[in-house]
Amino acid sequence: MSLFSRRISGTDQQTTVSDFVRIADAPFREPTTICGIIVRMRAQPGEGPVNLEITIEDPSGTAVVVWTGRRSIGGVGLGRRIKIHGVACRTPRGATFTNPAYTLLPQH
Amino acid sequence: MRIIIVGAGSVGRYMAAQLSKSGHEITLIDNDNKAIGRARLDESITVMFGDACELDTLARAGAVNADVVAAVTGDDEDNLVISLLAKQEFGVPRVVGRVNNPNNEWMFNEMWGVDVSVSTPHLLTALVEEAVNVGSFVRILTFEHGRTQLSEVTLAEGSPAVGRQIAELNLPRETTVVAIVRDGHVVTPTPELNLLVADEVLLLIGGDGEEAVRRALVTSRES
Repeated sequence: MSLFSRRISGTDQQTTVSDFVRIADAPFREPTTICGIIVRMRAQPGEGPVNLEITIEDPSGTAVVVWTGRRSIGGVGLGRRIKIHGVACRTPRGATFTNPAYTLLPQH
Repeated sequence: MRIIIVGAGSVGRYMAAQLSKSGHEITLIDNDNKAIGRARLDESITVMFGDACELDTLARAGAVNADVVAAVTGDDEDNLVISLLAKQEFGVPRVVGRVNNPNNEWMFNEMWGVDVSVSTPHLLTALVEEAVNVGSFVRILTFEHGRTQLSEVTLAEGSPAVGRQIAELNLPRETTVVAIVRDGHVVTPTPELNLLVADEVLLLIGGDGEEAVRRALVTSRES
């Protein structure tokens, strides 16, 4: 099943401890799930591409997540725990996910 | 490298043939039987029939292992969809998008997964401008989403740079002179090199250094 159809089905709401990998262990170029805390947010002001870019961190490392076409997403804020499901691309900034599915997790 | 080229028109077929000659592994996709038929004449290229705007087609073409996806169909909408799918669903490291209508160029950026956009009309304009203009500032190529540009100035008489050394131009920090073309020969730009009238100065300009470069190289009348 492709990532696309999984996202549309919208059933990815449950979070258990075992259904994600450490950021440092996340494989490139295949669907994967990671979990971490948002430590940085960046939205490009003015003209140019409208993107929301966040950096999430777990004890093993950091990953960059980019959502295109939007400057903010309700609930996505600094310090929030979030689960990301998508395909990681290797970039100079490390693993980068473009438009992944996400689940906001309850705070500790 | 594994390269997927979408669009088996004259552009796509030419790219496929050239890249295949350079030893790359090419898969060419199109959903037009005629174009596919012509492409099959070259046996070194894997040709695939299908609509690359569909995830399954890209998956069958091996997008998950591809190093580059080049969307070079004659349709800007298709090129954008293919670019976004390649980046978002397969994490392709380098996505190249062809711009057919210059009015659409603003969309070919990271918002649609495009790493490098190539606009033929824009390139042609730049080259024509470069051929006819002496003394003015010509942008030849932009990359890194427009943050860096390759530009050219042919020094006119009266340019503030004529008779000075490159080191004396006080170019901005993120700017570098990459070459001087003098009488048809490429001259390596050392800091001590004296610039002469009719020198073609090629510069890589990052950030917002363009204005400072114009001031240093272009006569005020021309800029």
